[in-house]
Amino acid sequence: MMDLAIKLNGVKKKYRFFTLDNIQLRVPQGQIMGLIGPNGAGKSTTIRILMGLVHQDQGEVQVLGHRMPAEQVAAKWDIGFASDDMRLYDSMTLEWHMRFIRFVYPQWDSAYAQLLLKRFGLREEQKIKGLSHGQRVKATLLLVLARRPRLLVLDEPTTGLDPVARHEILRELTAVMSDEGRSILFSSHNTQDIEQISDQITFIDRGRIIDSMDKETYLDRWRRLRLEVPAGVELPALPGIINIRQNGRLAIATANVFVPDLANAYENSGARVQSIENMTLEEIFVANVEHSREEVGV
Amino acid sequence: MKVSMVRTLILRDLDRHRHYIALSIVGGVVALALIQVGGEAPTILGATWFFISLIVLGSMLPISNVINERKKQTLPFLMSLPLSVIQYTAAKMLSTVGMFFVPWLTLVVAGVSFIVGRRDIPNGIIPVMMVAATFTFLGFCVIAAAALISESEGWTVAATVISNSSYGFIWYLLMRNAAIRNDLKSAVAVWSTPIMTALTVEIAMIAVILAVTFYVQTRKRDFV
Repeated sequence: MMDLAIKLNGVKKKYRFFTLDNIQLRVPQGQIMGLIGPNGAGKSTTIRILMGLVHQDQGEVQVLGHRMPAEQVAAKWDIGFASDDMRLYDSMTLEWHMRFIRFVYPQWDSAYAQLLLKRFGLREEQKIKGLSHGQRVKATLLLVLARRPRLLVLDEPTTGLDPVARHEILRELTAVMSDEGRSILFSSHNTQDIEQISDQITFIDRGRIIDSMDKETYLDRWRRLRLEVPAGVELPALPGIINIRQNGRLAIATANVFVPDLANAYENSGARVQSIENMTLEEIFVANVEHSREEVGV
Repeated sequence: MKVSMVRTLILRDLDRHRHYIALSIVGGVVALALIQVGGEAPTILGATWFFISLIVLGSMLPISNVINERKKQTLPFLMSLPLSVIQYTAAKMLSTVGMFFVPWLTLVVAGVSFIVGRRDIPNGIIPVMMVAATFTFLGFCVIAAAALISESEGWTVAATVISNSSYGFIWYLLMRNAAIRNDLKSAVAVWSTPIMTALTVEIAMIAVILAVTFYVQTRKRDFV
């Protein structure tokens, strides 16, 4: 059995206006897991629970083999965490932060930190309040990466970044994964970023995990079929088709488990299959969320 | 070797607030120098300034060291480190109290030495000064407790207002006591029963407030 960097089992957390319900999440070691969800879906709450910052009401959380939140101190020696709502000390310099983190983590890699300073175009002596948003994100990532953690947990790290800064950060994260022992959990509502670097993808919406599998399987399984439906022909309900939108003689069927037999079944019903199209991860995400909401009757 | 996280955080907080501490000590020393000038106005102004430098530090430290961690969103950065809630609480309490205690003790010792060294100021004032100074420590503890427990700027400001506005009241209570009033003019410090009672109550309240704060903090389930 593959070793897991992160394992969440039946995790529940109830707030007054939001409930994270029965979260099951597994991130194998050496993999990048993308956690995609709309705003308010529960990504940050899930991440805070697995970091031990918020205690779950129910369920089991294990990170790098440590039970959370009870063993969070032991776990956090090997976790690098950065989030969109995390800030460094404005009035202090990046060098002060580097010194502080180096003091805490014996495994701090000074040579790598210097390399990252150059790659990210940062200056140690600069105060944090003098940095742009992109530079602050890079500074935070530098502090996280140079301690060489076995697991990176990144909550929306690319939010608000320009395309160049996003590219630099994603490239660095990909480089980190050249060490096979490392794992990354990366949350975002930007599907492009997730698609670019992730091996595994989990969709979350309204406090529930709605789907989770490896990226290639998603892209292989999901298809959009454009159909021409002559008058009098009724499209059959087929397994694997989660949504059909019909406008006059034209219909679009979305398949979450596509097999060529689906097209044959539509042809046999009297419809004509005009095209079978691949879907982008963003289209899969939106279709998945809509399907999930329909299923729960929202 | 893994260093003690509590010690690391305390040193880090001290480093960040060293200017505040230095400024408050300078403020207190300037106040004592003002009293040294002599005359009624400089003495009153100096004594007021002396206590204000303690009160201002006591009001600013909890905001800067505790509330701003949440307000300026640096708390997730801290809590991402290998640190438990108990360690964070211990570090924050020790650093906040310690950063106040050092200038407080420095200024109290300087103030007492100053009075002892001046022939024209009766030593009888020392016990009252100790009660007032300990009250500034108590006021600081109330503000720090509000900051740590509520983590809310609003509640901390409310605690600051209540704490700071009670100084006049405690002074009024002390001065209502005829024995204390008379002992003020004594050539030697008189540690009368009312003075000792006031000091004991203050110290007991400080201990209770700090213990309750630590207990409540360690029972929190959600930290950011």
